Amino acid sequence: MGTMGLALRWEARISSVPREREKRVDPSEDLTGRPSQTVAPAAVTAATSEDAELAARCRAGDLAGYEHLYARHGVRMKNVARNLLGNAIDAEDAVQETFLKVQRSIASFRGQSSFVTWTYRILINTCYDARRSRMRKKEVANDESEDSPRPEPRAPGAHPSLRMALERALASLTKHQRDVFLLYEVEGFHHAEIAGMLDITETASKNTLFQAKRNLRQVLEPPRGDSAAGAR
Amino acid sequence: MNIRCEDREKIFENGTPAEWVALEAHSANCAVCAEELRTWKSLSTAAQELRDYSDTPSLWPRIERALVEQAAARKHRAERWGWLSFGLGFSLGWQTAAAATLVLILTVSAGWIYLHRPTQVVQGEQSLLKRPALAEVERAQAAYEQAIDKLAAQAKPELEKPTTSLQANYREKLLVLDSAINDLRAQAGMNPSNAHVRQQLLAMYQEKQQTLEDILEEKR
Repeated sequence: MGTMGLALRWEARISSVPREREKRVDPSEDLTGRPSQTVAPAAVTAATSEDAELAARCRAGDLAGYEHLYARHGVRMKNVARNLLGNAIDAEDAVQETFLKVQRSIASFRGQSSFVTWTYRILINTCYDARRSRMRKKEVANDESEDSPRPEPRAPGAHPSLRMALERALASLTKHQRDVFLLYEVEGFHHAEIAGMLDITETASKNTLFQAKRNLRQVLEPPRGDSAAGAR
Repeated sequence: MNIRCEDREKIFENGTPAEWVALEAHSANCAVCAEELRTWKSLSTAAQELRDYSDTPSLWPRIERALVEQAAARKHRAERWGWLSFGLGFSLGWQTAAAATLVLILTVSAGWIYLHRPTQVVQGEQSLLKRPALAEVERAQAAYEQAIDKLAAQAKPELEKPTTSLQANYREKLLVLDSAINDLRAQAGMNPSNAHVRQQLLAMYQEKQQTLEDILEEKR
């Protein structure tokens, strides 16, 4: 098996920004130095009750409820939107539009999923709409420059060449594969949460992630040539 | 748990924590699986490069302002249309029942109005002859034409060779009347139910009848 198509080892290039996975059980985390945590029943109950309380506050029109939602999820929402839309300006617009949509349609929220999952679903749909709208504008303007996301400053410690390589590789995935990969691997959501956000089953989410990673591996991996043959 | 190289992809896709531990143990003695595992995990690690949780201080104030504006606009709209939204205080079931009742009342009312609507004859229809009346008129007209033709046959010698100026005038008048009768018959042929045309045609026939009678009277 050859190495990945980038000169440095993955571990040498990863960001110094700590990953804040709180509850997800991911066996691979054990091997990258992060502790694998199980979800305690009490923690689940507390999270559910906090979610319901947050929904109730927003439904009552309490602006502090929205502020709390932003404080807890704002930067993550912006990151999801930026990875789906490719730039920070559109991402911020999408986050703002999401909050406005939540305010407009909170009365129709029936608690079938968690309030936060419901909010992320709105965010993702808003991003899809923005992407479609951008595509239409691009067709009209025939502006080829918008094909690839504009490079922009990232978090301290981020490795630009690795990020760009990964973004290029992600562009080769289907929309669904890219979304699941971003939500699971980048944002750290559980498959159950992703299923709620993308309106798919949990099994479909797992399967899509597997397909996405397999495709990414193929794209990032250099073609197996003489070196591999020589090793045999 | 005993793991083989063939199980690797299945574990990548949907492995349990115990299976992952077993794969780890297997990888310690299998170079291919160790490399595959490392590569697989590297993707998860690399994905962190796409994570940027830096805050934009101006974003929340912007969102807050937009939320306040939207709430104010909605409140204003609700006040303006408050009389329409009085039912929102009721549960969805009651609102549905009220809507169904309203639809039922409207349907019954519309049905009643339809069934009890006055049977008016349109003004324009009065000038049109119904099918039986039309047949009767045509029969009478045909008989009238035959009778006039008989009169015309009796007056024919005087009309072909008029001996007086009066007879010559009668002849001219009959030619004009025949021309008018032919025109009216053509119109009646195109629009048989038009009673007005039929009345004009009858007047022309009467005039022709009178003229022929005058010619025959003069002859005697």
